[in-house]
Amino acid sequence: MSESEENEKEQKKVKIVSSADIIAARGKGRELAKKMGFSVVDQTKITTAISELTRNIVTYAGRGEVTIKKARSKTGGKNGIVVVCIDEGPGIEDVGLVLKGGFSTSGSLGLGLSGAKQLMDEFEIKSKPGEGTVVTIKKWLRR
Amino acid sequence: MLDIPILKIEDFLVVTIQSELSDDEISALQEDILFRIKDVGAAGLIIDITALDIVDSFMGRTLSNIAATVELLGAKAVVVGIRPAVAVTLVELGIRVKWNVNTALNFDRGMKLLKRLIEAERRGGAS
Amino acid sequence: MSQNLERELSTLFEDHADRLKGQWVTEMRESGLLEQMSDVETEKRYTALYNTVVSTFRTGEFEDVGRYAKEITEEAVLRDMSVGRIIGGILKLRDIYARFIFSKYRDEKDKLYKFLDSYEPVANNILTIVTMAFVEERERVIQEQQRAMMGLSTPVLQIREEILVLPLIGTVDSERAEQILEKLLNGIVELEASVVIIDLTGVPVIDSLVANYMIKTVHAAKMLGADTIITGISPVNAQTLAGLGIDISMLITKNNLRAGLWHADQILGFKVIREKM
Repeated sequence: MSESEENEKEQKKVKIVSSADIIAARGKGRELAKKMGFSVVDQTKITTAISELTRNIVTYAGRGEVTIKKARSKTGGKNGIVVVCIDEGPGIEDVGLVLKGGFSTSGSLGLGLSGAKQLMDEFEIKSKPGEGTVVTIKKWLRR
Repeated sequence: MLDIPILKIEDFLVVTIQSELSDDEISALQEDILFRIKDVGAAGLIIDITALDIVDSFMGRTLSNIAATVELLGAKAVVVGIRPAVAVTLVELGIRVKWNVNTALNFDRGMKLLKRLIEAERRGGAS
Repeated sequence: MSQNLERELSTLFEDHADRLKGQWVTEMRESGLLEQMSDVETEKRYTALYNTVVSTFRTGEFEDVGRYAKEITEEAVLRDMSVGRIIGGILKLRDIYARFIFSKYRDEKDKLYKFLDSYEPVANNILTIVTMAFVEERERVIQEQQRAMMGLSTPVLQIREEILVLPLIGTVDSERAEQILEKLLNGIVELEASVVIIDLTGVPVIDSLVANYMIKTVHAAKMLGADTIITGISPVNAQTLAGLGIDISMLITKNNLRAGLWHADQILGFKVIREKM
């Protein structure tokens, strides 16, 4: 089995519908991060980032799905964890504004997004009004 | 519905959060605490989160809200038991921007701090 | 077109390898570039380089050079061999090849220029790759040493009941900073500290990275119920900090460790009395 196939097999998918699912997603995240050997601080950061993003899904999109699995950097050499949060919510009109806005202008949505961005090594968001949102976050194992 | 015990010790209320709470449970807890404080006329509140290995921005804001409301009710609040990994994460999250919560290392220190805060207030210091 | 020319060049270099190599080694010896090496070592090392260069011309790919550069620099930096020698040696080879091309095609001006046009960028690229490999390897070693130094020199010391001291030495990079913070916070929990004194005397440059790290540390320690005192900021660094525009008003700073300890005693209600004279 190739490495990417192995990673696919080990991935955890959690459907996000209610706030109870936030806890489930966090648990899966912590589990995989711990298994991969992330430090306690990094485990906590990863789990918290997952919490922020899934909470956004529940609050703003209604429903979505989170996929958590191992990642390998393109240039080889680095192992890490990648979390993809997909929802079919209303989408975000101006992502840049939301990320910059802080609590008052965009509510906890921006806070959650920028929080997750702050805690992880890589953060990518694709969102269009009417087309939902995909947020991908990654954290790499330190040597 | 999870029943989180709110204990009364001396003039204070002590809440120990044992496990991860769902959003509904957090809201219910917040209501419970504030009701009990008024009901009992407690001078202070200790929230022990030693058992929590994660505090996200929602939980952080909730703790901050509880502390603020408790102040409005004329009492003092202290959060104890924040784990190192949680502290680092909360700081990274930038929660400190709206985080005006008294904190102490553990229950004992928390009690000492509560008493100091209440004493300071009684002497007429600004809160 | 250029690729064919390069291949022609490589064949040329290969066919005359013995002569060119011999010339090269002789000139290097004359310039004193081969002093620390035995003949056998010289032969081995410079044959490897020669062949690498020839194959680069043949294939048009620089992977071999990259690999060679990495190997030689790791070894050279480790043995503290002079960069000048190795670069000097490659420069000599470049010149020997160039002179050779000149002598061979002296009377065929067109061909000469074509060959030189083809030759120069490849030769210069080889030189650049090797030089950069040296620079990167040196930087890597320095970073590693600094990290090791930081690791060795950040003990969390309990100086009194409830008071911890963290003397920082060296450069604080973001990865190391977090590890130290974690260690400090665990120390606060384990030793039930109420005051932490961070001494920056051994940190040469206090930039915005360090300043932000201090602020983070103060906030995190506060969540564990501990106050933080920063000591040992030199006048120069103090000026830099002030000019950075970061709000450090919330930091408690004292001139030196002694003043910091005195302040910590004040906070905790300790009084130090000398009994015997």
